[in-house]
Formats: sequence, C-alpha cells, structure tokens
Amino acid sequence: MRKALLFVIALFTLSLSIEVTAQQRQVSGTVISSEDNEPLPGVNILIKGTTRGVISDLDGRYSIQADANETLVFSFVGFVSKEFIVGNRSNINITLDPDAKTLGEVVVVGYGSQTKGDLTGNIASVKGADLATIPVPNFQEALQGRMAGVFVESSSGKLGEGVKIRVRGTTSISGGNDPLYVIDGVPMTSSGGIGLYNPLSDINFNDVESFEVLKDASAAAIYGARAANGVVLITTKSGVKGKTKFNVGIQRGVSSPTRLREFLNAEEFVELMRESGDNVGDLAFVESRLDRYSGWSDWRTNETDTDWQKEAFNPDAGTTNVNFSASGGDEKTRFFFSGAYDNQTGILIRNDFERISGRLNLDHKVTERFTLGANFGLSRTQNNRLADDNQFNNPIQLVALAPITPIRDLNGQLYDRPTATYYNNLIDSENAQWLNTSFRNITNIFGEYKIREDLKFRSEFGVDIFNQNEEQFFGSRTNLGLSTNGFGRSRWTRIFNYNTNNYFTYNKVFAEKHNFEAVAGMSFQKSDQYFTFVEGQEFPLDELRTLASAAEITGGSSSVTNFTFLSYFSRINYKYADKYLATFSARVDGSSRFGDNNKYGFFPAASVGWLVSEESFLKGNSKLSLLKVRGSYGLTGNAEIGNFDHLGLFGSSSYALIPGLRPSQIPNPNLTWEKTAQLDLGIEFALFNDRITGELDFYDKNTTDLLLNVPVPATSGFNIQRQNIGRMQNYGFEVVLNSVNVAKQNFTWNTSFNFARNINRVRELAPGQESIPPASSRFLNGVFIGQSIGVFYGPAYAGVDPANGDALYYSNAEKTETTNNYNDAERMFVGDPNPRFFGGLTNSFTIGNFDLSILFQGVFGNDIYDGGGGFFAANGDWFDNSTLDQMNRWQNPGDITDVPQARLGECNGCNASSRYISDGSYLRLRTMTLGYSIPKATLERFKVSSMRVFFTGQNLLTFTKYKGWDPEVNADYLASNVFQGNDFYSAPQAKTFSLGINVGF
Amino acid sequence: MKKYIITGLISLTAIFSSCDDQLFQTPFQSIDQSLALNSDANVKSVLIGAYGEMRGTPLYGGRLQLFSEMLGANSEVRWEGTFNQPREMFNKQIFVNNSFVEGTWAAAYRAINISNNVLSALDVVNESDRARVEGEALFIRGSMYFELIKLYAQPWSSGNTTTNLGVPLILTPTRAITEENFVSRNTVAEVYQQILDDLNRAESLLPAVNSFLARNYVAAGQLSRVYLQMERFADARDAANRAINAATTNGKSLIPVYMNAFNTDNDSNEDLFTIQVNTQDPANDMFTFYSLPEFGARGGDVSIQPVHIDQYDLLDNRRSQFFFSAGEERTAKWRDQFKNVKVMRLAELYLTRAEANLRESTSVGATPLADVNRIRARVGLPPLLTVSVSQILRERKLELAHEGHSIHDIRRTRGTVTEGSTSYQFNDPRMVFPIPQREMDANPNLVQNQGYN
Repeated sequence: MRKALLFVIALFTLSLSIEVTAQQRQVSGTVISSEDNEPLPGVNILIKGTTRGVISDLDGRYSIQADANETLVFSFVGFVSKEFIVGNRSNINITLDPDAKTLGEVVVVGYGSQTKGDLTGNIASVKGADLATIPVPNFQEALQGRMAGVFVESSSGKLGEGVKIRVRGTTSISGGNDPLYVIDGVPMTSSGGIGLYNPLSDINFNDVESFEVLKDASAAAIYGARAANGVVLITTKSGVKGKTKFNVGIQRGVSSPTRLREFLNAEEFVELMRESGDNVGDLAFVESRLDRYSGWSDWRTNETDTDWQKEAFNPDAGTTNVNFSASGGDEKTRFFFSGAYDNQTGILIRNDFERISGRLNLDHKVTERFTLGANFGLSRTQNNRLADDNQFNNPIQLVALAPITPIRDLNGQLYDRPTATYYNNLIDSENAQWLNTSFRNITNIFGEYKIREDLKFRSEFGVDIFNQNEEQFFGSRTNLGLSTNGFGRSRWTRIFNYNTNNYFTYNKVFAEKHNFEAVAGMSFQKSDQYFTFVEGQEFPLDELRTLASAAEITGGSSSVTNFTFLSYFSRINYKYADKYLATFSARVDGSSRFGDNNKYGFFPAASVGWLVSEESFLKGNSKLSLLKVRGSYGLTGNAEIGNFDHLGLFGSSSYALIPGLRPSQIPNPNLTWEKTAQLDLGIEFALFNDRITGELDFYDKNTTDLLLNVPVPATSGFNIQRQNIGRMQNYGFEVVLNSVNVAKQNFTWNTSFNFARNINRVRELAPGQESIPPASSRFLNGVFIGQSIGVFYGPAYAGVDPANGDALYYSNAEKTETTNNYNDAERMFVGDPNPRFFGGLTNSFTIGNFDLSILFQGVFGNDIYDGGGGFFAANGDWFDNSTLDQMNRWQNPGDITDVPQARLGECNGCNASSRYISDGSYLRLRTMTLGYSIPKATLERFKVSSMRVFFTGQNLLTFTKYKGWDPEVNADYLASNVFQGNDFYSAPQAKTFSLGINVGF
Repeated sequence: MKKYIITGLISLTAIFSSCDDQLFQTPFQSIDQSLALNSDANVKSVLIGAYGEMRGTPLYGGRLQLFSEMLGANSEVRWEGTFNQPREMFNKQIFVNNSFVEGTWAAAYRAINISNNVLSALDVVNESDRARVEGEALFIRGSMYFELIKLYAQPWSSGNTTTNLGVPLILTPTRAITEENFVSRNTVAEVYQQILDDLNRAESLLPAVNSFLARNYVAAGQLSRVYLQMERFADARDAANRAINAATTNGKSLIPVYMNAFNTDNDSNEDLFTIQVNTQDPANDMFTFYSLPEFGARGGDVSIQPVHIDQYDLLDNRRSQFFFSAGEERTAKWRDQFKNVKVMRLAELYLTRAEANLRESTSVGATPLADVNRIRARVGLPPLLTVSVSQILRERKLELAHEGHSIHDIRRTRGTVTEGSTSYQFNDPRMVFPIPQREMDANPNLVQNQGYN
C-alpha cells in the first residue's frame, strides 16, 4: 500500500512538473457500482481542490473539463470515494466499491486512539449520531441491543433511576459489577447519588461523538484495577474546521406503559374474598372488612368498581427534546458548542425528568508543536422522584387496593386507611413533593506538546463535580406526615472527583516495516464525597414545605468519605509489515481502598494479531477482503468495594441522645483487588468486497480473589466479613455481522446483527462453603458453586392437590413426592435470572430521501421472580386485590388448577416458591426511526443546508411470555449482584412515539 | 529522546511523589477498633452502643414484645396486618427463613458482643465507675441470653434442661473470625446458669440511681422473671421483693390512673425499665403494629377480640384502654408515636411477689392479698378477701396484657394457646422459633429445633 502511495505521489509530482502548461481537455466516462456492475447515477465528480464538478447521469455517464495534472474525486454516499489523476486520458471509467467502513475507522482506546485494522483487542464502538434521537433519559438505555456482549437493563419505567450494564457477565459477588465510565479521559462518578439516582443521567448524549466499550483484557488492562467489568469510553464531539455549521433539532413524543396487568373487578374481588373467608369459617370477618373497604358505597351491589391500576399511570406522559449546536473553526482553533433541553413526563404519576445541558469543546494550536484544549460540560437535571418499589407510596402499589373502594369520599377527599386497604398514595399527588436536582460539571483541560516528530507529551486535568440535592415534603395527609403535621427532608451531596493523566506517546516506523507506538504515563485520582441531611416535622401548613417551617427538627447528619488511586501505565503497539500486530500493556494501581499489606497491584496484558488477508496468498482476493485473527490474555482488577472495607472499625451508635460506639466491621488487612484473567480469541473478516463483515470472539474470564461478603455466624456479633475468596468464571462468545444488502442510488439496505452468549459460573467460595443461600424470605436468589450467580433456589411448587385444594411443593429432589407443608419442601434450583443469549438486529434502509432504521433487541433464557405474587397472586390470602388468573382457584374436589383454594390468612401457597417464577425472555422492537430529508434543491431557497423530519418510536412492540408488567425489570430497592430478575410492583417500561425535525444551516 | 523522557519522568515523579501518601485515608465516621476501647470515655461510649443495640426494634424496641403476644394470641388478639413474619408466629407456622426470627437472633448476639467488648476493657475504666459499667454490661448480656432462650429453645418447664438445646454462649468479644466462632448450642440449663450469674452479679454491682439505664432493681426485676421461668418461686419472690424495695425507696410507685402509665415521653414513676424513644430515634414496633394511621402507624395490624375484652370486669378501669377504630377494637397502650417502650413496670413485680409468696406460703415484703389488692385498687376494683394462684395469674394477665408477657406466662404455667379450633400445649415445638436458616447455613455446628428441617 505504501508503495502505491509513493507511486501516486511520484506520479503527481512528475505530472505537475511536466505538464504545467497543459490545456484543459474534455474527460468523460462511466461510473459503475462493483456490487452489481450497473451504472451509478448521481455520483459527484469533483476536481480536487476546486469547486468545479459534475454529477453522473442516469446511465452513470459524466463529462468534465480538466487539466492533465488535476485529480478527479468520485464520491457517492455509501461507497468508498476514489481519486484519479487525469494525466493524458480522455476517457476514465471507474468502479466504486460499497463502503463497509471497517479497517480505516478510528477507534478510541485508553489514552489514545487506533485504527480498527490495527486493533488486537476487542472493542465495541457506537457512534453518538446513531443514538441521537432515541427518547430515553440516559445514554445507557440508548445503547441497548447495539453492542455484542454488553447487557443493558433498566430497572423499571421510573425516570432517572439506575441502569444495569454488564460487559461479558458478572464478575463479582459482593463488589461492584458496573463498568468504569471515562468521559474525555476523566473517570466519571457513576454511583453515590442520593436515593437510587443515576448520575449518568446528567450526560446529554447528543454531545457524544462515540462510545467505546473495552471488553477484553488487552483493551482494558491499561485501566488496571477498575477494568474487570469493562471500560466505557465516552468521547464528546469536537469542532471541524470550516464554515460554522448550526444544527437545531426539536422532538416531541407521547409515552404509555408497554403493558398492563389484569386485576379483579369489584364483583370478582367480592366473590373471591367471601369465598376465602368462608373457607376458613370467617365469612363474617370478611364481610365486615368489605363494609369497611367500600366506604360510602355498597359492595353488595358493586356500586363502586375502581380500576386502581389505571390511577397509577399518567395519561399525559411524553417527551420533549430541543437541541442546538454550532461547530466550526479555522486552522488554529476549533470549537463545538451545544445546548439542549430534555423533558420527559413519566408514565407513572408524579414522575418526571428534565435536563438542561450545555457544552463547549475547544482546541487551539498555539504553535505547530503545542496544542491546548478544554472540554467543558455543564448540566442541571431535575427529577421528580418516586418511592422505591417496596414502599406504599410507589404508585404501582395502588393495585393492592380493593376495587370496591371509591377513590374519594362524599366530600371529595381521597380515601385513606381504614377505608382504603393500604395507604392510598394518590394523596402523595396532592400533598407531597419529592424533587431531586443535580448540577453536574465535567470539565477537562489538556495540553499536548510535540517534543519531536515522533514523541509527544500530553497532560490532562479533569474534574467531575456532582452536586445533588433532594427536597422531600410529605404533607399532613400522607402516610409519612400524617401523625406529625407533615414531614420534610433535605439531603445534599457533593462528590468532587478530580483526575490527572500525564503521558508520553511515541510513534515511529523503523526500516519501513516496523511500526512502533508506545504510551507511558501516570494518573492520579481522588474523590471526596460530602453528604448532609436534615429532617423535620410539625409544619403549620401543607403549603409551607421547606424545613424553615418545621416546628421540630428531628434528624440531621453529615458524613464524609473519600478514595484515591495512584497509577502508572504503559502500552506498546507493534506492527510488522502491516501484517503482524502485537500489543503489550500494563498498569500499576495503588488505592486507599485496600489493606496495608496489599496497597498496589500490577495488571499486565498482551495480545497478538495477524492480518492473514495481507499475506500474498490472499491479498487482492475480492471474496475474502479481510481476514484477521487475534488473541489476547491479561489481568484486570475490580476495586469497587467500600472505601474502608479493610479496617476493623467501631461506628457511632447513640441511645437516648447519649453518644455511643459499637463494632461495625471486622478487619481484613490483606484485602485486595479482585483479579480477572481474561483470554480472548477473535476473528475478523470481510467478504465479497466488504459487503459482509463480521467479528467472532470467544472469551474466558476467570475471576479469583473475589471480594466476598462471607457470611459468618451471627453469634460472633457480625453477619459478614469482606474477604478475597472464591472464584467465578464467565465464558462465552460474541458474534457481530454487518452486511450491505443493497447499495443502489435510490435504495440501500444495511443489516447489523450482534449476539452474545455468556455463561456465568460460581466456581469457589470460602473454604468449606458451598453456597450463599437466599438472604430473604420473600425472594429466592442465592449463590451456589457450579451455578450462575443469583440463581433462584427454593421450594418447587407442585401445583394444587385436586382432593383438597392445598398448595403442594415437591418434598424430594427427584420431584416424585409432594407435601403441603412449606417447611418440608425440598429446596432446589428453580430458575436462573441470567439470560442465556442476548442481542440486537438493526436494519437500515434509505429509499430516495427516506431513511428507515429498525432495531429489534432481545434477551432470552432468563427467569423472573414476581415477588408481588405473594400478595396479588395468592388466591385471596389477604385483602390485596388479586390478578385475574386467581379466579381459577380450586373450589371443589376434583378441580384441576394451579391456583390453590382461597383461605384467608392461611398462606395456602403464598410463600416464596417457583410458583412465582416465569420465563422472562423477550424480543422487543426497541427503536424504529423513519426520516425524510427534504431535497437540497428545495432547501437552497431557504439558505438551509439540511432538513430532516422524522418519527422515532421506542419499545413499540414486546413479545414475551412473562405474565407481569414488563420482562425488563429489576426491582429497584433490591437490585444487586445476587438479587436480580425480581419484579416487585415495578413499573413497566415506557412506549414512546415521537416526531421531530432537524435543521442544519 | 532519552533525555526528554528522563526529564519528563523526573519532573512527574517530583510532582506526584506526594500522591503516595494519599493512598492512606482514614474514615471520618468510624474509628479503628484499636482505639475504641483504649480509654475510660471510649469504653463508656461502647457501653452506650450496647444499649443502642438492645434498644433496636428486633429487641426491646418492640419485637420481643410482639413475638410473645403473637405466639400467645390465644384467639384474644388477632394479627391482621400484611407482614408475613408476625402472621407466621400468630399462625404457629413459622418458616425457617422468617426475617424477624433472623433479625432478633443477630441483634441479640450483636448486643452480647458489644457487652463482651466492654467487659474485656474494664481495666481502663475509672475505678469509681468500674462496678457500674460492669454491672450494666452484665445486665445487657444476661437479658439478651434470657430473651434468646425464651424464644429459640424449649421452655424450662419442658424439663430435660440438661439435654434440651439452648443457644450458644459467647462470653468473649470477637476480634477476628476464626474456627472458634463456629460454636455449638449450649444446653438450656447452661444458658440459664449463665443468665443467673450475669444478672446476680449485675444486681450486686449496679447502683440504685442511674437515670433510665440499668439499675440494681432493674436487674433484680429481670432476675425475678428468670426465676419464674425456672419455677424457683422463693428466688423469684426474693428478687421481686428486692426490686420493689429498692425501686420504691428511690421514688417509684404505682401511678394513680392506670392509663397514665402508658404513652409517656419520660419514664413515669411506675416504670422500672423502658426503652427511650424520641423523635430522633423514633422506632417502636409495638406502636408501629398496634396503633393506627391517624397516629402515624401502619394500618392497625393487631386487633383485640371481644373474648379478651369480656374478661375485664365492667368496673375495671383497664377497660378504658380499648377503643374502636378501623372496624376493630384496639388497645391504647401503644397508641402514640415517639413514646417510650415499656419493658418493666412496678405493677409486674407486685404480682410476681404475690404469686411467689402464695406458692411458697410466705408473706415476704407483703401478703399476697395485699399485693394483689394494691393492683386492683388502682383500677377501681373491689379488694379480694382471699386469693388463689389462678386469681393472681388472671390479675397478672389483665394487668400486663399486650405488653409482651403472654406466651412466657403461658409456658411457665404449662398452659395452652388456642387459636380457632387448634390448641397448642405450652411446649408445642411449633411455638419455638427455628434457628434461622441463614445461621444454620453459616455455621454447620448448629442443630435445628424440633419440627424444622
């Protein structure tokens, strides 16, 4: 390739010197597409460095005046541009190849960038532009289904809450499993917000140029002790030299829940409850309760039939997005400026999210050698928050109320207990406020100095300032403020996280064939978190909602915590003859989080690659245009534990306003990183002139020295001790396939497919320890050697005894014997919340000025435990309203059903068991976008360079067997490494239809 | 080039060498265990920490009382709340993973460990306070073992006390997890002996005046409960008598209006021991479950049945505790929020002394009749002329109803609990808690109670 280039340059120079006086002549020819050998109309033919150009006609023909020393540039959307020097030819026929954009693409890596062709590690990359119009509050949800092996799950349809991301499985049982997020070189604060607030919601992903996920050890080891869960690199947009370009976009949408459940109506409810009471000889008690619950109305005539579920949802849910950007610059200075307003009104009542964000990215060449720059991002996010899923004031918990209960009494006041079965949280809508505001500034300044042509030094200093405030007020009618004339709380936290990276980059080609690049440097990070709260009660009026009005301040606290990392890192890339690739990287990480005996850790990785298609026997083969094999092995760590877990501590514990102390933690001076050794073997290929490209990867991650909260006998005074013990394995494969199905002028069709299989296995726990059994009586997730983390373990439900309606459980492992005594049930593995497969399929079309993109995303082979089932699917065990399927309860001897006899208060089958487990697989039409670009000819009159109107739909269709609200669920108050796949009155996801317009000028 | 790199690295090293110190951070909200017990003030703070633990809802903050009332409900009260954990106790079908059962077990052993920490560091306590500090720690440890043995083992009255399994006895503080932490259960007799040792020594060390914290008469009162369980009536009588004497000498007395003894911000004259509740530290699970939303509680999870209320004489002022709300009768003993949790009232000790005196045919301190009539007079009932054990037990039941005595009095008197059509003997294994499943899993040396696998 290099030879060809030299030849061209030589030729160019030659022609320049010889034909300076040459005359312009007519050059003509035909442009043909390589994929079907048909003529390509509409191809731009431009003379390089001029504005002279023509467009090929319907037969692909063109004709242009050109000098012999001029170069023709043939370009067409979706094809690789070609250049041709006119020379002495008058007829130039050219064949254009479809552009599959593989080898030449630049990918951001840790402390640098590389062309994709030179990579020996596994990095998944998504362009920000692909996500720009997806109507979700954070970029994590937008990434769903787009990267192989990157699992994304948002806990529910509540706005502003956490999103779970797992890169190649779960590596840790008790430590963190989220990837490290690095934005423009600054490791971001991604947790530590008040409540369940997701600090990553502060990022306006319209500003992002690209997301890269470093998946294997070779790519990630340069982030050392925090890389075992993968690293997400976020690069924001930078300016482009040239005329200043403006872009304005407006988008509005309406949202609704993806699914609803069916609950009993008043008549069915009365029937079930009376039967339930009658079956235990307590009909009179039930009827007295029905009297109480029906308020002013008569349950005997079904006077009231309230659909409480409907009340939990907001009929006016929707989204609004307005964004503006300007970018441009000259030779020395380039800028990107943006502002955006995002507003989402949640599908649940009392829930919304608003973000105002601005960004200025600048870089300036002081001299040829010295560049300065800054990326400055600022945002304010306001989130009207909701209580956790398990709280009475979680809107979805309204479904527990009886359909015979009127919403309001005869005076128009909302009914509360005792008429309502439980707290009627509609009162919160009238009488409470819960506003969360976060201010975020992520700023990074850098200087880069070219010491020599082949050596540069870069220094970066970044801060991530996260400032969050939560103002809660619960008025005198709410359950939290009822007896105290209101309750108010104000919480503040500030996380100041600063980071500096300083490194050299050396780049040189030796003897033409040895391409050598090296990076070496250090970084230091410190994060300080301050937290303060005050709470009070006894407010004179419900309208006075700040604590200044509280007659009694009942609580307050402040706390400080911090951590530091000091790191040294290096990477060497070596390429021989453009065929053989090798990368070595290493990082030494020191952290305050670890014991005195183990402050520093060393994380090396090595990888090799071979571009087989560059070998002479394959070179130029159009059927197999790229074949690369690569392999990597290395060590990464996980440091996501508490800041002081290694110390033996006493914490404060007061009694009767007297200060006190008590032991809070058992020491472990040996505490150190979790170590993940990962092997990755991959093949990259391109077939038929890059029409089909793909990647296949196999990986095997072995995590040892697990940071484990080992259960110890509670008789010691402690429940757990943090130890480095145990081993976990994740292995699997990933497939990425991209194809250009059709590439004609008026019609293109591209398909992109990704698919991953991850197998998670717990291999070892503490010596002699076989399991960490389910830690809750209501949920079943446990940890067992040889099983996936969080596997469901408990009694297997055996249906209903047809003779007497008893709930039955299997009493032996073989499932041959049953018992009606829950305590005698054999506990066994009854399900697995970890998906077996997940992936995404994107089809993109352009038809004339229309563009259409359809993303299907799916998760398969996982189970969900519906923890609310013990209340609403418990055959009328108590007065909670039941789901419709409970009407199939056993009634008479001989009835064959899965729903036991209704028995008030006797828990006939209401305990945690496989009864409440179901298949959570789903396939979802995640995102569909249909756009129309107004033809340029029309736009020119309005001095507009581009205009596109579009429709974007999110979560339009969901295919699943799951019986609950939505299969994408992870009850927020429970969600942890082990507790996964649980539903507990968790809100369904939002389905959004939106329309937008984008104008560039 | 080498020159540049070396210069660069040297300057970097210079700038960031100070960073290494940054790797040693100390927490702001906790102190190292080596410092926690090294001074008089610190050990006393740890002692308060033990009260803080004992005060929690899993222990005297409400659940110990609730468990007793639910196990001994006897169709007189009814669990109607949504929480499964108390309902399982009420139904006498307790699941091995009941989180309340697990929580109380763990909390009691935490309180024991804190007490053991205090007891291990008495030598740094000022000599003038050493006896009191030791006495308080022993009182807490003994009380915790007493509460554990009553719930997690067969009662003393079942006999076989030297073979029936009690709970593990831990008498030293835990500083690290070793093989020794994988303990086995001691026998019922061994545990009772330890309780007696702790409480007797506590009584001898404690002063009579010590604000609302442990005092000598509180330890004596607790001892009287222990002896009653062991059916050592003479000892129970003497302990109760000592408690009454010390308490009344120090200003304690029955307060004239019965219901004024409840829902108090501060300890009343009648309170021998309470858990201090305030708005900063509001937890009181008896309030949470017995009271009603309009008072800031849950939905009225416990109702009082007519069969109970009918046992009170129409003249009995104690009837005034009952009120109708949310469709059921309720007791006002736990009506208000932020009020102290009653653990031991003087009235109990009069009734204990009366019963023990009568059973022993003695009149230590006062005649049984005088003690019983003292209780009756206060609530407007006419004096008895003669008295029997069953009359005293009936008086005791009504006087102390809904205060956490129910199952324990039934057990020691070998009574029965009847719920609906099912009767449970005092020693029915279904009324003994399981050893929590979590604990069984964490410690293979434990043996589960009868009836739980």
